[in-house]
Amino acid sequence: MITKIAWRNIWRNRVRSLVVIVALALGLWAGTFTTGFYQGMINQRIDDVIASEMSHFQVHDTNFRDEMQIQYFIENALDIQNEISQKEHIVASSGRVVANSMMGSANKNGAIKFNGVDAEEENAVTGLSEKLVEGAYFEGVKRNPILVSAKMAEEYKLKLRSKVVVTIQDLNGDITSASFRVVGIYKSGNGMLDATNAYARRSDIQKLIGMQPSDLHEIAFLLDNHDLAEPMANEFQDQYTELEVLPWMDLATGMRYMVEAGNTFAIVIVAIILIALLFSVINTMLMAVMERTREIGMLMAVGLNRNKIFIMIMLETLFLSLIGGPLGLLVAFSFIEYYGANGFDLGAMGETYGELGFAAVVYTELDPSAYLTITIMVLVMALLASIYPAIKALRLNPSEAIRKI
Amino acid sequence: MSNFVIETKGVTKTYEGVVPVQAVDHVDLQIEDNEFTAIVGPSGSGKTTLLNMIGGLDRPTSGSVKVNGTELARMSENHLIDFRLRHIGFVFQSYNLIPVLTAKENTEFIMLMQNIDKKTRDERVEKLLKEVGLGDKMNSRPTQLSGGQQQRVAVARALASKPDFVLADEPTANLDSHSTTNLLDIMARLNQEEGITFVFSTHDQRVIDRAQRVITLVDGKIASDIRK
Repeated sequence: MITKIAWRNIWRNRVRSLVVIVALALGLWAGTFTTGFYQGMINQRIDDVIASEMSHFQVHDTNFRDEMQIQYFIENALDIQNEISQKEHIVASSGRVVANSMMGSANKNGAIKFNGVDAEEENAVTGLSEKLVEGAYFEGVKRNPILVSAKMAEEYKLKLRSKVVVTIQDLNGDITSASFRVVGIYKSGNGMLDATNAYARRSDIQKLIGMQPSDLHEIAFLLDNHDLAEPMANEFQDQYTELEVLPWMDLATGMRYMVEAGNTFAIVIVAIILIALLFSVINTMLMAVMERTREIGMLMAVGLNRNKIFIMIMLETLFLSLIGGPLGLLVAFSFIEYYGANGFDLGAMGETYGELGFAAVVYTELDPSAYLTITIMVLVMALLASIYPAIKALRLNPSEAIRKI
Repeated sequence: MSNFVIETKGVTKTYEGVVPVQAVDHVDLQIEDNEFTAIVGPSGSGKTTLLNMIGGLDRPTSGSVKVNGTELARMSENHLIDFRLRHIGFVFQSYNLIPVLTAKENTEFIMLMQNIDKKTRDERVEKLLKEVGLGDKMNSRPTQLSGGQQQRVAVARALASKPDFVLADEPTANLDSHSTTNLLDIMARLNQEEGITFVFSTHDQRVIDRAQRVITLVDGKIASDIRK
């Protein structure tokens, strides 16, 4: 009977209850969708970081990443690459020679990150050939082919078959240079990556800097499962103690922070919205209790004990929250599923996000565990919101409440 | 043990404030079973305060209030609520019914709180609503009933718990003449035929005329106690 009364009570003032329900639904929709949007964005960034930049883990000389000097290479790196590639879950690997260089064209000189790659290996790891928007993948010229980004091509005013001169320090510390001819122009969609990276054949750069063919600066490994990146990197770090083996989240600046902060961000956003809604629900329920002072007094007078009054008011608050909450979650789920399938186009802002390494079209997604967390947060909010109005009702003195006009 | 349903001894109620107000002043009162009693007096004479103390809604500052020999003044709040539920029926001036429940549900409500089984509840609700002339309004909500009909549902609800007595605080104050007569007829019949004890506080001369016993309060004291 108490449940029946509580349920009917919330419909006594339909407009007010509906306003609270809609506010709850809208708030939760906004919070949950934002969380799904952010998670989709982060996951796409992670996929992009793994697919285009870092792979799942990389092996370097311990000083290489800090110093970025070519003398910090891995000796007999091809043996290590072959050995690790035999392990389970390794899908592909790419051995690279990486050198900070100067690139000059007729129009501009600038610093680049010069990547010497094995065409086949690199394609298996980063799918570089698929990113070409012009030209061919290391084909068309026999000597020193180079791939530059569309952004570089625009800045250096380069076209296919344009010649560039790359100046680099060799392993003896001498400055050396060589001319390369543009055979392909790529566009990765990641503005930061495109701004500095050019690709040449590994053997060409090794020859230029006087490095043995078996030596490399970087070996990148692609796995069949994102979640194995850290444990496998740790496993190989233990095996190759003289080298540095790091997973993608420690290689890409800020990625670990971004992933960890992303989870907190979602909770914080929803929590802020729920706190705002908490006060809205408390306010509504207080109004409902105050309006019914005499009625609650009458219920106490005829023998409804304080526990039942407390439960009745709590149930009314819970009902409001449990209609609005799931409604908001359901709408948010629909939006997240829709934009997860069709993508959310950031429009004009997409270019700016692209410059920062984020995708211009975000495919929203949200873990089932996040829905569960949000549901629990709504329940906690509903319980918290119900306590004060219920206590207020309990403080009523039946004889005074009945007399109150 | 006394035969009184209600017995007060030296009951006093003082409301503290800048100027303390003694609403009820050393009232000794005994009401026996089957009485049809009206407590009357001008506004501020202490009628409602006395009724609230008899009904266990308020505690006396001093003195004793007993219902069928049970002292209410020293009862804990929870015991008092349970005592009201099982021993006292209430009819108020207004806001008697739960607006979201039908006449049947309002009447049944008290019995549900007493954990009475469904079959007994259904039988008793039907009997009571028929007795108060609302057999055809069982599924109507209070807003669909007139003021007089609502008070009759309140009487049915008050009787549902089979109380020791019914306290009615100005039950006819908001009713028209026809509804008042009708309600008084029902209560008088229940008193005479079923032996239900009724205690009213009232200003209403029509109620006073029908009462068997009229207790007049002035300044919180019994000024007269007339049995007809």
